[in-house]
Amino acid sequence: MSVRVRLHPYFRRFTDGQDAVEAVGQTIGECIDDLGSRFPGIKERLCDEKGELLSFYDIYVNSQSCYPEELAKPLKDGDELTIVTIIAGG
Amino acid sequence: MSKAAGRGLQRYDRQMLIEGFGREGQERLRRAKVVVAGAGGLGCVISIYLAAAGVGKIRLVDHDRVEFTDLNRQILYTDKDVGRRKVDSAKERLESLNPEVTVEAVDQTITEDSVLELVGGYDLIVDAMDNFAARYILNKAAIDNDIPLFHGAIHGFEGRATTIIPGRTACLRCLYRRVPSLGTTPVIGVAAAVIGSIQATEVIKYIVGIGELLTNRLLIYDGLGLECMELELKRHPDCEECRHIREAQR
Repeated sequence: MSVRVRLHPYFRRFTDGQDAVEAVGQTIGECIDDLGSRFPGIKERLCDEKGELLSFYDIYVNSQSCYPEELAKPLKDGDELTIVTIIAGG
Repeated sequence: MSKAAGRGLQRYDRQMLIEGFGREGQERLRRAKVVVAGAGGLGCVISIYLAAAGVGKIRLVDHDRVEFTDLNRQILYTDKDVGRRKVDSAKERLESLNPEVTVEAVDQTITEDSVLELVGGYDLIVDAMDNFAARYILNKAAIDNDIPLFHGAIHGFEGRATTIIPGRTACLRCLYRRVPSLGTTPVIGVAAAVIGSIQATEVIKYIVGIGELLTNRLLIYDGLGLECMELELKRHPDCEECRHIREAQR
C-alpha cells in the first residue's frame, strides 16, 4: 500500500522541508517504519523505546482519528495520513 | 445619559461599514451572551476583542490569581494585578475598554458539577482553557445543551483552532480521542494573540452571520515557520460525546 503522509511543520526538518511524503505499508505502524528508514529521526520523535506512539500525537486517516491502537490500523492504497501534535495550553 | 450612550453606535462605526455587518449585525452583537472559559493568554485576547466589538454580555470564568509568570501573555494584567483574582482585574479592564458591555466575573473552577450553571442561559462558549480535562467538560456541556463551542489551544509559537457546532460538526472528542498528560506549557504571548484573535473572529462571524466558519476544519498554526495547515475533520462514529446525536440532526 502506498499512502500520502501530511507532516506537521516540526517534522519537516527530517524531510528536507517536504510537507507531505509517500510511505509504504499495510498498517500505520509499517508506514511509520518506512518513514523512519528513509527519514532518520522521525520514528524516534513519534514513538517511545517500545515502539508505541507517544501520547501527545494523534494520527488521522482520511480526516478521522485512528485512536486507539493506531499503529495496528490497516490502510488502503491512496489513504491520506495526517500526524498532529496535541496541544492544550491556553 | 453617559458620554458613551450619547455617542450611540459611533464606537462601532468602522465595523458596521463591513459588508453584511451593518446596524443589524451590531445589534446582534449587543444582544449576544458569551461565556469565555479561562482568563489566561487566550481568554485575555478573546475577551478584549469581544468587548471592543460590543458583545453585550461576557461571562468570564477563571479561578486563578494573577502571577508574574502570566504577564508575558495575559495582556489584561499588569504588575499591580499580581495576586489579585484574574476575573476581577479583567472585568475592570474590559469595562474600562468598553463601558457599554457587561462583564460578569466568575471566580470558579469548571467541573462536571459546576459547568451547567456556568454556561446555562448563554449563547456561545469560548474554550480558552489550559488543560484537556476542563476542555472535555466544556465540550460535553456544549453538546448536551446545543451551544456552539469555539476551541483554541497554544504551545510555544504554535496554535490550534476549530469551531464546533453540536450535531453538525466534529466535536473535541471526535478530534482528540486520547487524554494526553502534558506538563507546564511553554508559550509566548504572540501565539495567544493569533489564536485568541481567530477564536474571537469566529465568535463575531457566528453572531453576525457572515463569512465561512472554521467548522469541520482544524487550523494548525506554526508561528516559527509562519504558516498554517488545515486538517479536515469528520464526526467520529464512536465518539463518546456526540455519537448519540442523530444523523438527521447533522
